[in-house]
Amino acid sequence: MEPTIVTRMMDAIRAWSGVSVPNAAARHGLADHDALIRELDALRGSLVFEDEPAGFEAALRDCMEGRPQELAP
Amino acid sequence: MNAPVSSSTLTELSMTESADAFARGEVSAEALVRASLARIDTYDSKVNAVIRLDRDAALAAAVVQDKARAAGQTLGKLAGAPMMHKDMYYRAGQVSTCGSKIRKDFKPTVTATVLEKLDAAGAIDMGTLNMAEFAQNPTGHNRHFGDCHNPWNLAYCTGGSSSGSGAGVAARFFTAALGSDTGGSIRLPATLCGVTGIKGTQTRVSRAGVMPLSFSADNVGPLTRTARDAARFMAVIAGHDPKDPTSAREAVPDYEVALTGSLKGLKVAVCETYFCEGADAPVLAAFEAALAAMQAAGATITRVKAPSLRAINAYTALVSRVEGATIHANWMREYPQDYAIHLSARLFGGYAIPGHLYVEALSRRGPLLRQFVAETLTGFDVVATPTLKTRVPTLAETDIDASPENWHRFMAVSGNTRPFNYLGLPTISIPCGFDDRGLPVGLQLAARPFAEATVLRAADAYQQVTDWHRKSPAL
Repeated sequence: MEPTIVTRMMDAIRAWSGVSVPNAAARHGLADHDALIRELDALRGSLVFEDEPAGFEAALRDCMEGRPQELAP
Repeated sequence: MNAPVSSSTLTELSMTESADAFARGEVSAEALVRASLARIDTYDSKVNAVIRLDRDAALAAAVVQDKARAAGQTLGKLAGAPMMHKDMYYRAGQVSTCGSKIRKDFKPTVTATVLEKLDAAGAIDMGTLNMAEFAQNPTGHNRHFGDCHNPWNLAYCTGGSSSGSGAGVAARFFTAALGSDTGGSIRLPATLCGVTGIKGTQTRVSRAGVMPLSFSADNVGPLTRTARDAARFMAVIAGHDPKDPTSAREAVPDYEVALTGSLKGLKVAVCETYFCEGADAPVLAAFEAALAAMQAAGATITRVKAPSLRAINAYTALVSRVEGATIHANWMREYPQDYAIHLSARLFGGYAIPGHLYVEALSRRGPLLRQFVAETLTGFDVVATPTLKTRVPTLAETDIDASPENWHRFMAVSGNTRPFNYLGLPTISIPCGFDDRGLPVGLQLAARPFAEATVLRAADAYQQVTDWHRKSPAL
């Protein structure tokens, strides 16, 4: 059975993006978001206030072979 | 099932073997190109790897190289080697369909930097290859140009999105091909078709003149027969490009020099978290056999866990979906009917993801990279996983256009490759056996950022003690 969230998401997409649901498979894909939402729900609170996207390039450099960056998991 | 066969024809030569034989004067470029063209003419009606064959231009380029060599001129290190490129690399004035109806007549005004570099190195580009529409599926389905078929068994997927690249290299149509990798699009066709494929560190190779899919995760790279081929190919295309300000400035080493041919002392971490969970038994058997072969050749194998993968997997699912949905928004409003069902369905889901979660996914990328490296690459040279958890699926059982019920099988294909795009790590896939249906199995090796030489060294050394990469399908 299709999760109730599907119809709500379709309405939100149409309102925010002007894109209409193209086919039945798209509804299937939206239904899949239910599981993704639960996964993200489990991660709430893990973002640190100072984290920002630009930190990724710095992390690439810091994690290179031979760099003394070993962090505890 | 097709039984592996061996052959001594010109088309069995790898890219470096072809280029080296040409450089030594043992074979002409024209003979190499004619052999490739003949094989495509004979077998591509089955495989459907090629979109546009630039026959005359390739032969003309070969003749020019033969004359130059005869005149004693120094040619590039890929001279004489026939290759082709996924139809999303732009050549000014030539159609680049991106595997789509929407861009079926699109003629770019620029040429991709990587094509310019390959031209300068002497690779003979014979034209464009089939691909997933807009590089957006992991299976090789294409509604507009026809599905690409796995040369090992035509009913099975090639993997995508670089479907023609993987199938064509496996079918011995050419020595190497350009692919692209946003969630596994080089490594999956490499695995499913039994060839070698590498994506570099995020930003390692210029993306100027390349169709975008997801600017945070797009990578350019080769599919080849051997790790040595991949090393030479990567050395040609890697490096900073002023036309792509996002490209990295780190120096590019001579990757071939790094190929010691030995696994002695190589420290391999096997990540037990996630990558092997739920994997098919024939895949695990081939993977464990590959680890045993590495250990027998002098590598040490250590099992590790990576709790960071829970977050990595969740965030991985967000980034490329949102970025893909964003760049396709105008066409999704104006021409939704021009997309294949599976693509418009997939893009549609991207509009439902809240902006703050997308930013969170990007913001946590650096910290999660540090954590994953600490968990799996501290004290180890490479981390090893199966490239694909399941046996190679059939085209029918992953066809969403035929039935939405195939959604999960379709989406599961890239489960083991996507995390390395989010992490930005250099990652290679090499053949490591066959499943019980005679389809290839792949071994995935990842290393620290900018350690392409390490994954290439490990892959090459593995290929010195195994011959899976030498098997070719009996078309």
